[in-house]
Amino acid sequence: MPAVTARAPGQGTLVATGCGTAIACVCALGLGEIDRRLGGLWSVLAVMCAALLCAALARALGRLAAVVPSGAGLLAFLSRGLGRRWGLLLMLPYVALVIAVVAVEARIVGAVSARLLPIPPAAGALAFLLFTWAVARSGVRPGLRVQAVATGVLMIGFSSLAVASVIAAARRPDFLAQLLPAPPSALALLGGIGQALFLFMGFELVTNQAELVRVPGAISSALSRSVRLLAFFYALAALGFTTRAHGSAGAGREGAAGWLTPQLGLGGADSSIAAAAIRILCLLASFTSFNGALLTLSRLVYALASQGVLPRRLARMDARRMVPPDALAVLLAAVVALTFLLTTHALINAVLAGSAAAAGLVWAAAVAVRERPPFAEPGRARRHQVAALALASLFLVFGLSALAESAPASAATRVEIAHAH
Amino acid sequence: MNAGTDVDPQLRLERALARFLAAYQARPDLVAEQRGWCPVIALSASDAPARVMVALDDGRVAPAAAGWIVPGVPTLEVLGALDTLCDVLGLRLDPNEPYLFGELTVAGAEADFVRLDYIASRLCPR
Repeated sequence: MPAVTARAPGQGTLVATGCGTAIACVCALGLGEIDRRLGGLWSVLAVMCAALLCAALARALGRLAAVVPSGAGLLAFLSRGLGRRWGLLLMLPYVALVIAVVAVEARIVGAVSARLLPIPPAAGALAFLLFTWAVARSGVRPGLRVQAVATGVLMIGFSSLAVASVIAAARRPDFLAQLLPAPPSALALLGGIGQALFLFMGFELVTNQAELVRVPGAISSALSRSVRLLAFFYALAALGFTTRAHGSAGAGREGAAGWLTPQLGLGGADSSIAAAAIRILCLLASFTSFNGALLTLSRLVYALASQGVLPRRLARMDARRMVPPDALAVLLAAVVALTFLLTTHALINAVLAGSAAAAGLVWAAAVAVRERPPFAEPGRARRHQVAALALASLFLVFGLSALAESAPASAATRVEIAHAH
Repeated sequence: MNAGTDVDPQLRLERALARFLAAYQARPDLVAEQRGWCPVIALSASDAPARVMVALDDGRVAPAAAGWIVPGVPTLEVLGALDTLCDVLGLRLDPNEPYLFGELTVAGAEADFVRLDYIASRLCPR
């Protein structure tokens, strides 16, 4: 008899969860970089190629979650398919880069809050990290449905702004030229697709809900729908970014803070109410992302510490709140340190590209593992294995291309942003 | 480590659960910490015909019928290999470890499993 799942999330909530864990402000930075390297419909092409790969990955993940319905997600899948050591080794760079991405997110929050309030960006970043940590430390967990509503508001809000940008740009004579810029080099396109993988990073966390949802096919369906919705959202946002480059005063704002927060130049950002709304949406996106990351990572740190992989002191659990306070404190310290270390375009671009490569590596492993015991069905046709090998290779190639493409660009844009405002 | 593997799987699981609950009830401080917690937990072996259930009422173990069958639907279902379940209940293995590596899965609220892991860790400090 299955366990009672009276509060099991529905399909809509699951899809919103997949989108919510993938979308953060740092994604706008990723889109901005794709736009800078490709632009116009080439950016949309990169997003759609990444979406196609992720759609195939979603099918594989659906099978993995059906066989091993674990809240531990990718680590559990990879460990069952490849063994504990390989599972941990493959996940390590992914987890480390998630922490670095959160630090970049904090920098973005600092830049956004400095435009909302008369405070320095560093103070805004620090306040954001401390507030989100305090919420996690208190044991309060925003419910899935609350997060779903927040994600819905975000997606609708930014989609509307992107559409407004495109409509505004459509009146200009150079609109078509903006949509169809000169074709990029092959490496730039490959790197752009690799960078677009980063935008989808986190959608796979829907599998973590397998413990609550035991309706057959629900997780698989939510994964696929999340990818489709994200593809639509990012394609629209990519178009908005392309037109934003010439479409608003906010976009034309050069300098570090503008580079860090390209989304602030979308749509009606010139109106003070719209601008404030965008900034509040940004903070909301950042809070839900960091909150989720803190809770998931603290549980991982706690578990690894309890096995002696990390210092055992981190395995202490607060009996009343059921959160590991020392693990949370260490994560906060790591993120704060990285927030103040990741001070240049070069370093931040390296984090984005590294994250895309780490996601590509882990996803390639997930696709490969799907064809191994205990996940592969008996007598599964060989063509599936060939297709999985091809898909895994593509994830690796695009991930590495993102890294390769980021190197020269990063070196060329080594601009200090520590005091950006 | 897995002494008694020739014993009936159901009996092995029942004995392991009895040992775990005895250790839990011998720690009134730990029981008091779980005040307000009322789960019905089922443990099922994935590789043998063995299943036990235990109900907690306000953190205290509710009396069970013979064969560890508790009326009602479990709020948390733990599924794993018989050896893994017996090792966890015998406090030889931290439940988080097989959980993390996908060798033990749960159906139900993650918070219930986190609490279960906490109890195991307090019973067997590492």
